[in-house]
Amino acid sequence: MRPIKLNVIDLPKADYTGGPSSLCPGCGHDQISNVIIQAAWENGIVPERIAKMSGIGCSSKTPAYFLGKSHGFNTVHGRMPSVTTGANMVNKDLAFLGVSGDGDTASIGIGQFIHAIRRNLNMVYIIENNGVYGLTKGQYSATVEKGSKKKKGATNENPPIDLCKMAINLGCGFVARSFSGSKKQLTALLKAALSHKGMAVIDVISPCVTFANNDESYRSYNYVKGNEEELHTVDYIPHFTPIEEVEVPEGQFEDISLFDGSTLRLETLGDDHDPSNAVAALAAIHEAEQNDKHVTGLLYYDSEMKTADEELGLTDTPLVDLTEEELRPSKKALEELNQSFRA
Amino acid sequence: MANSVNDFTVNIATANGTGSQSANLILLHSMFEMGVPVSGKNLFPSNISGLPTWFIIRASDEGYQAPGDLTHIQVVMNKDTWLADVEKAEPGTIIIHNMDVKLPVERDDCIVLGMPMTKMARSINPKLARMIANMYYVGALAETLGIEDSAIASAVTQQFNGKEKAIELNLQAISEGRDYARENWDCEIGYSVEARDKDPNTFLIEGNEAAALGCIFGGINMLSWYPITPSSSLAESIINWLPKLRQAEDGGATCAVIQAEDELAAAGMVVGAGWAGGRGMTCTSGPGISLMSEFIGLAYFAEVPGVIWDVNRVGPSTGLPTRTQQSDLTLLYEASHGDTQHIVLIPGTVDECFEFGWRAFDVAEQYQTLVFGFSDLDLGMNRWVTAGFEYPDEKLDRGKVIRTQEQLDAIENFGRYRDVDGDGIPYRTLPGSGLEPILYRGTGHDEDGVYSEDPEVYAATVARLKRKIEGARDKLPAPIMREEKDKQVGIIYYGSVENTIKEIDDILESTTGMKVSTCRVRALPYHSEVERFIAEHDQVVVLEINRDGQLFGILRKELPVELLSNLHSVAFSDGIPPRARVYADMILETLSGETKEVVA
Repeated sequence: MRPIKLNVIDLPKADYTGGPSSLCPGCGHDQISNVIIQAAWENGIVPERIAKMSGIGCSSKTPAYFLGKSHGFNTVHGRMPSVTTGANMVNKDLAFLGVSGDGDTASIGIGQFIHAIRRNLNMVYIIENNGVYGLTKGQYSATVEKGSKKKKGATNENPPIDLCKMAINLGCGFVARSFSGSKKQLTALLKAALSHKGMAVIDVISPCVTFANNDESYRSYNYVKGNEEELHTVDYIPHFTPIEEVEVPEGQFEDISLFDGSTLRLETLGDDHDPSNAVAALAAIHEAEQNDKHVTGLLYYDSEMKTADEELGLTDTPLVDLTEEELRPSKKALEELNQSFRA
Repeated sequence: MANSVNDFTVNIATANGTGSQSANLILLHSMFEMGVPVSGKNLFPSNISGLPTWFIIRASDEGYQAPGDLTHIQVVMNKDTWLADVEKAEPGTIIIHNMDVKLPVERDDCIVLGMPMTKMARSINPKLARMIANMYYVGALAETLGIEDSAIASAVTQQFNGKEKAIELNLQAISEGRDYARENWDCEIGYSVEARDKDPNTFLIEGNEAAALGCIFGGINMLSWYPITPSSSLAESIINWLPKLRQAEDGGATCAVIQAEDELAAAGMVVGAGWAGGRGMTCTSGPGISLMSEFIGLAYFAEVPGVIWDVNRVGPSTGLPTRTQQSDLTLLYEASHGDTQHIVLIPGTVDECFEFGWRAFDVAEQYQTLVFGFSDLDLGMNRWVTAGFEYPDEKLDRGKVIRTQEQLDAIENFGRYRDVDGDGIPYRTLPGSGLEPILYRGTGHDEDGVYSEDPEVYAATVARLKRKIEGARDKLPAPIMREEKDKQVGIIYYGSVENTIKEIDDILESTTGMKVSTCRVRALPYHSEVERFIAEHDQVVVLEINRDGQLFGILRKELPVELLSNLHSVAFSDGIPPRARVYADMILETLSGETKEVVA
């Protein structure tokens, strides 16, 4: 019998899997679920310390298909950020992994997305972005490119809402774009996001095989494969692997140190992209958009910001673990209070 | 001239934003300081500055707290409402006016007393004259009514919170107002205050602040809120008191406060906090409840504890944002789509605002559902008497939460939604515990929390939810009843009607000799004692401050049909705090079988 491979905390990958998927065979979202399983396992995160959060839609069903040992909440349409905020406030020690879609995030929930970024909520926010509403049979969503055409129906004529542009403009500290078909890149980016403190947005182009995988759709598998522009190749070096033991790549590279001591190594392919430069990141997105291309990689990174829970100056113990004595002021305190009103 | 002692109503007409609120509270507190039973109602506009405001002070040895039928003393300061205020006065009213507004007071049938308030204020501080002018009517009323100097001084000190300059300036203005009245008016106006033995334990406080303190003593972990009148001061009171009452040993906060982007998010945060095992709460008013309804249904169906306080204002829609009403009761009880039923705690006093403030969290965690506190603008934003808040007599009840593997092992065939104890309340485990994790969802689910569209599973789930909430009936705060021996007529009421019921009761008895029993409902689903009360009385009136008789509707839906024939609705609201006479007349009409268009 072959020995079962264990991760750094001695758990098999099976401890990170979930139930069988009920999405359409070949759905990009299932590939993302596999990446989530792989990244969480390889990072050695204790599965029960993760909280899986989602809204409503095809993407939001997926928390049933990964991390079966984690509690999760499939909330209501577009409102995953607020539920995550409340949970994060009372238990800041959990790792929050949010999964949302383009309908969930760019339309009904765009306000909550914006405000979660504004507060720098400490979470990973994955958008499984296929440009259509799958569960209601393929209506266009707000992220679909102008000129893109799904399998049936008219060409989309409305300009898209680019969630990465929006996140960068709002000051999000970790903004990346990837593709469900680029497993290596997506895994490295997700691992880095899990190692980041604060809001990490990953917008993942994820083809809808049922309604928009035709070649005229800018989010079909073939189109993205042929029109993806990678800013850099990404390599994730976990904190438990001494970086000096990792082979130094030839040519230019840049190391980004993450909160938990891990490193994201960006190996430059073409033009230099400085991920600390928000304007450059916006320019890269803008140029790609003009040429009907998809730019992928770590677009923007800033590690200096306080998270929502830090900003509030919460006590060290997660609020959910406080004792009755800490939660209810004493009888004496009430007597003094009454007395102060009487005076 | 006959003299009414501690039995009169003063109406003070001012413009919002001129500092008149300070003047009015000084009057209220100074009378309270003397032991005069007194209540104050602020009728204010829904904008920041300039619009008309009326403050009504009722002094009553009988303890009546509603605005009286008549205004005995009318103070007119606001030129915008001047003519109407003067015209509305009944013959014989004392009209005190600011002569510097230079508008006529042509009422030969009233006692008209003028004072150049702005001019006098300008002579002591030209910059602040507009604000200080209000202190001259305080002085005028102090002199004519006989309010003691020491009581005024104490109220001024309290109002300006030790700010020496402000205290000095305002006391000077009040003193000059007194002097002017004494020297220029006949101060025997027929109304006066007389000191009474004041219970030294009593003080005045707003319902919103009382509820806020209750929440703090209830162990609130997370407050999410979106500003809306008349609930904002509840959230702001929590924010104000948290550092003083709830700081951890390391100096950190033990309650997170988030001003949300809207009411939807505020409700979502409450659900998230409850799901993670914390005590989350938000406060809002009717428009907010409409927006929160989606999450309220999720909390009901996924069985997540949380607390929402609704401080009712006048609806529908934006309605009259700064006026009072009891019109959200049906909305709260059945909020969100699908079959739902929510627990509603209904305080009628500031003491109950405090008590239900902490208790709501226990009930929510006990039943793993959303619990509403239902207050209104009158109770929430006006000041009422308490003799001091009582410390919770029970420990925090965190409900059926499994925290260890041993606890989990002790349950045979655990499932998140399995009714192990037969009370409809299942056990839950918390995120982070690793104990039987599930994916919570608003979609159909079986006893293990797994997605299901099975007809039997769905029907069993909603039947259990019904059983769970039904089981709360007699465990929630019981009604407060006062029963006559001869059980002819009973009045059922709730919430802030408590402030008017005594006067209604007295009017009914003095005009018709009718002796009524009363029953104040304090929670939904209503207690079985309410049903007994209805069964034992010949005629029962359900009295409420709304148009449609919302509690009446709930009773009609849930009571045995044979009890309905003698149950009547008396419901009316015009936004003004209820006047006893209006309701007493309606009750009499209803009982005599007549119906008449109400003109308040």
